[in-house]
Formats: sequence, structure tokens, C-alpha cells
Amino acid sequence: MHQTLLTVAIIGYVAATGLALAYLVQREEVLHRLASLATLAAWVLHTVALLALAIHLARPPLATMPEAVSVAAWVVVLLEIWIERRYGLSVLGAFVLPVALVLSLQSTPTRTLIGPTLSGAWLWVHIGLALVGIAALVLNFAGAVMYLLQEHQLRGKRLGTLYYTLPALATLDRLTYRTLAFGFPFLTTGLILGVLWAGTAWGSVFTFDPLALSSYVAWAVYAATLAGRAAGGWHGRRAAYFAILGFAVLALTLGAGLFLPGKHGG
Amino acid sequence: MALFVSGLSHRNAPVELREQLAVDEDKLRELLRDIAATNVVREAIILSTCNRVEVYVVADVPGEARAVMFRQLCRHRGVEPTAVEAALYTFAEGDAVRHAFRVASSLDSMVIGEPQILGQVKDAFALAQSCEAVGPALHSLFTQAFAVAKKVRTETEIARHAVSVSFAAVELAKKIFAGLEGKAVLLVGAGKMSELAARHLVEQGVFPVYVTNRTWARAQEMARALSGTAVPFDELSTALAAVDIVVTSTGAPEPVIRRETVQRVMHGRRGRPLFFIDIAVPRDVEGTVDTLDDVYCYDIDDLKQVVDSNIRERVREAHRAEALVEREVAKFLAKLGDVEVIPTIVSLRERLEAIRTGEVKRTLARLPGATLETREAIEAMSTAIVNKILHAPITKLRESSRAGSPRSWLELVHELFGLGRR
Repeated sequence: MHQTLLTVAIIGYVAATGLALAYLVQREEVLHRLASLATLAAWVLHTVALLALAIHLARPPLATMPEAVSVAAWVVVLLEIWIERRYGLSVLGAFVLPVALVLSLQSTPTRTLIGPTLSGAWLWVHIGLALVGIAALVLNFAGAVMYLLQEHQLRGKRLGTLYYTLPALATLDRLTYRTLAFGFPFLTTGLILGVLWAGTAWGSVFTFDPLALSSYVAWAVYAATLAGRAAGGWHGRRAAYFAILGFAVLALTLGAGLFLPGKHGG
Repeated sequence: MALFVSGLSHRNAPVELREQLAVDEDKLRELLRDIAATNVVREAIILSTCNRVEVYVVADVPGEARAVMFRQLCRHRGVEPTAVEAALYTFAEGDAVRHAFRVASSLDSMVIGEPQILGQVKDAFALAQSCEAVGPALHSLFTQAFAVAKKVRTETEIARHAVSVSFAAVELAKKIFAGLEGKAVLLVGAGKMSELAARHLVEQGVFPVYVTNRTWARAQEMARALSGTAVPFDELSTALAAVDIVVTSTGAPEPVIRRETVQRVMHGRRGRPLFFIDIAVPRDVEGTVDTLDDVYCYDIDDLKQVVDSNIRERVREAHRAEALVEREVAKFLAKLGDVEVIPTIVSLRERLEAIRTGEVKRTLARLPGATLETREAIEAMSTAIVNKILHAPITKLRESSRAGSPRSWLELVHELFGLGRR
């Protein structure tokens, strides 16, 4: 049941992604309306699929890496829908939905649990907080890509279709800053809980786990960016490059969790 | 009765001919009166702008009406009719409707999407109305044309992007700063062009305005005109630090704003972008300043290129607008078709109703003892018979008008039911 629902939701995300990209190029308002509709419908189906899975498993669907990544995709789409409405950023979907789609595809069921014993509420909180942080940073990445594209248009002075569709540089810079400022505390708290939990469950904080190590690097990149923005006057292009770097490491982190053997399962 | 539009425009007639035919308001009134006196034209609207002179006419014999219209027009303006005749285009019925919609929507304009034409069409309509030259057909055509024009403006981006250099600069500023409220602008040099750009910026909420010029009096004069502040020319770099947008238009042979100066200024700005609009030739801002982070610089050629992109955008949107107009034409013609058969349907009803009431009266006169119930039954029965007889021909008329060929059916109905000449 939940598997069928999830498959339909993924098909919905494929359609939404295609429509959002078509809107970016064609700028037909009807494409945007259809893309929004498909996004909302797929997200609702995704929600039902996750609820069905939770009922089926009799626990939150966060205990294996594929489950957690699927939930991350769900949060990403939720944020996309919200920010698009809030800021009137009709092209946001074209940059966020492809990432959400890739994340939602990682839902092959696996039996390997993230913790050896899934006991204690702290583990759920660790996973949940980290996921919200990651989702916000996906939006941060999309904002940075849009900023660089628009900056390229304005510097190149040959205005193409992206100049007309993408919003103002100031708007995009604000979007990347806010998503970072929102996501970073979640990521940080999630990581701290993970470290504390690892200390008690695995006996040591510094065991060799690819996901954990990679996530420290990602955290360091984001911490540096946030510090640079808050205190060093970083903004615009530099901040955007760092957002993309941070996201690359974050993607590696999730990839490590999904495909490499380690304590987070694989 | 037929609708047609005939005239000449920037598309097919040179300006020499257009200006010869152009008519002012008083002449138009006179002309409309003269034309009404000929009794050849039922309804007429004359649209005269610098880009087109057109007549929208409803007449029984279109060819004759067209000849009369232009003979009068040429006589009033003292133009040789043969020269005009050669440049005239004529659209009839559906094509005339399409033309009216396209003209009002600014799809037929020299600069696609320019906003003046709709006002000019509205004025022409109002003038003809005040001369009692507008009847039901042109009234519904033009009110619909205004609605279509509004729809085109709101549903497509045909008029969205700037086609003038100064407005293009304002749009660029918006793509850098998002909102322009509270952004400061500095005018370097006091030309007409920079004043125009400054006015557009102020309309978008730019404040405060600083003006600097080598001639102090000129700077003060322009500052007054724009409710701004004059700044001494040697304090240029101080002023640069305080503003977001700089419009330059001096006549200096060498750049007055150097890369080093801007680089120094940028240090203290903590990343606030600086946008140079350099409309001076030779340029006032050194060409390499926009290699600096957060500095954007558009010279006059860059701005012209932006205008070119914007015009391409309008052409692109115009394709969407044409499709929209096409749908509206079809809708309007369908409605117009019904309008054409409605008088016949009405007289058909009246004719049968007259027969019915006459016969009922006669019958009741022969039945003095009839109860109220009997009388009502006779009324109801006769009404039902009339409605049943009417049903088929009315349906047929409506169908034929929707199919676009009601003529022969209208003739037939008139003949069969003895409705007299249409």
C-alpha cells in the first residue's frame, strides 16, 4: 500500500519537475499553475505514503537511511511550496524539485537500521532535526544557483530568458541567507545530539563512520559561511559559492550514508 | 448590412501621405456630419492618429460607403484621391473585427504594446458617439475591443518590458536591488537624458537624490528641479560612498569616475551593490569598473542592447496575444451572429402571437357562456401550439447563424411567414 502510494508520489514529482523546468524556459503561466498543482498533489500523496509506512512499521519512518532521505525530500517540497508562495518566487520549483526528486527516489526498503538499537527518543530527535536542517540547506543551494545565474546575466549584459524569469539579486541573496540562518541551528543541534548519542551507544565519538565524518566537514563549511555572512560582510557571489560547496559536501554525506558501509547503515 | 474597416497605416503608407490625411477633432465632427447626410453610411467611426487614418463603417452597400467616406475625407483635406486609393486596405466582417481588436490591443502599432493607441481609439469612439454616428453594431464592436485590449495587457507581457533606454535602466536597477524604495541616486552631469532617468527612478521610490556638476549653478538648478541636494564636484567620491545608483552624463572627454576611486569606495560599503548608468558619450565611467565585485555598469550601448532584448520579448508575447485575439474574434462573431437573427426571431414571434390573440378573441366572442376555466384552457392550448410551431424555425435560425450562414434561412423564414422585407 505505502509502496504503491510512494511510487505514484514519485511519478507526481517527475511530472512537477518537468512542468517547472518547462515553465522556466517557456514562461507560460499555465505551466506554472500545472507545476504547482502537480507539486501539491504529489506532496499530499507522499504525506499519505509516509503515514501509511509509519502505521505499517509501527514507528516513525526514520530508522533507515532510505526512509530518512525520503522524509528529507518531503520536508524539502514542503519548504519549496511555502517559500514559493511567501516570496512569490514562481521559478523556485525548477531549481528545488529536481533535488527533491533525486532524494525521493532513494526509498528502496532496507533492513539496516541507523542505530544498532533504535532505543531512546534522542535518536529520533537527532535524525528529525538533521533532516529539517538538510532540507533548508537544499533551498539554500537552490537560492545560490539562482543568484549566480542572475548575476551572470547582469554581468554579461546579454539578457536571456533567465534575466526575465529570475528575481532580483537582492531577493536571491536574502533567500540564501535566510535559509542558511534557518537550517544551520537544526543541523547543529542534530549533529550535537548525534555525537552525544554516538558517545553512549558506540562507546566513542570519533569512530570511523563515513556519514558522521562527512557531516562534520559540511557543518564546518556552513559554519564558516554563516560566520562570514554575519561578521565578515560576506554576501552575493562568495556566499553563493560557499552554499554550493556546502551542499556538495552534504550530498556526499547523504551518499555515504546510503551507499557506504558504516554505522549509519548502508 | 455589412461591417468593414478601411484605411492606411504606418505599415503601408509613408508618413507624407499619413500626415496629409490626418484630421483634427473639429474637422472630424464636420466630416461625420457630412457623411451622415449622404445616407449611404449607417454607422461610422474615424480613427486618426499619426500612425493611421482608418474608418470603421456599417453600411448596406459597403463599396459605395467606402467610396463616399474617402471622397469626403480627401475633399476635406485637399488630397488627391488616387494617391490615397492606392494605399488603402480594407477588411470586412470577421477580418474587420480582428483588425479593430488588434489595433486597440496595440498589436498593430509601430512599437508593439505602446499604451497610447487604446486612448486614441477610445477618443475616436467618444467623438463619433457625440456626433451620433455610432449605432448598435459599432458600439458592441468597440466596447468589446476595449475589453480585449485590457485582457491582452493583463494576460500577456506585451507591455511589460521597457522599450526606452531610461526605463530599461530602471528595470535593471530593480533586478539588482529588488525594491528601489529608499535607494539613493547621484546624478553626475546635468543632461536632459539623466534628468529623465532620475525622474523615472524617483517615481519608483528612489530617495534621496544628489546632483553634482562642474558648474555649481547648474547642479543647484537641477537639484531644485528634482527636489534633491547639490553636491560640489570635488566631493564626488564621498557622494559615491553614500548612494546606490549613479547616473552619469557629463560632456567630459575623459572618464570622470576611475576604477581606483570606485575600488576605494567599495571597501567601505560592506557589499552594498553600486549600479552605474553611464549615458555619456564618450563614457564617464571607466570601462573596467564592473570587474569589481558588486559593481554593475551599463553604458549607452549596453542599455540599447537591453532595449533590443526587451523588444524581442514583446514580439514573443505578441504571438501569445495574437492567439488570444483570435479566440476573442471567434467569440464575438458567434455573439454577433445571434444578433443578426434576433430581429427575425422577434418579428416571427410577434406575427404568430398576433394571429393567436386574434383567433382566440374571435373564438371567445362566439362562446359567450364559456366559463373562466374554458377561457384559460383555450389560451393555454393556443399558446402551446404557437410555441411548438416556433420551436423548429427558431432553432434552425440560431444554428445557421452559429454556422455562419444565416442569410438564406432568414430569407426563407421571412418568405414563409410573410414577415415582409428585411
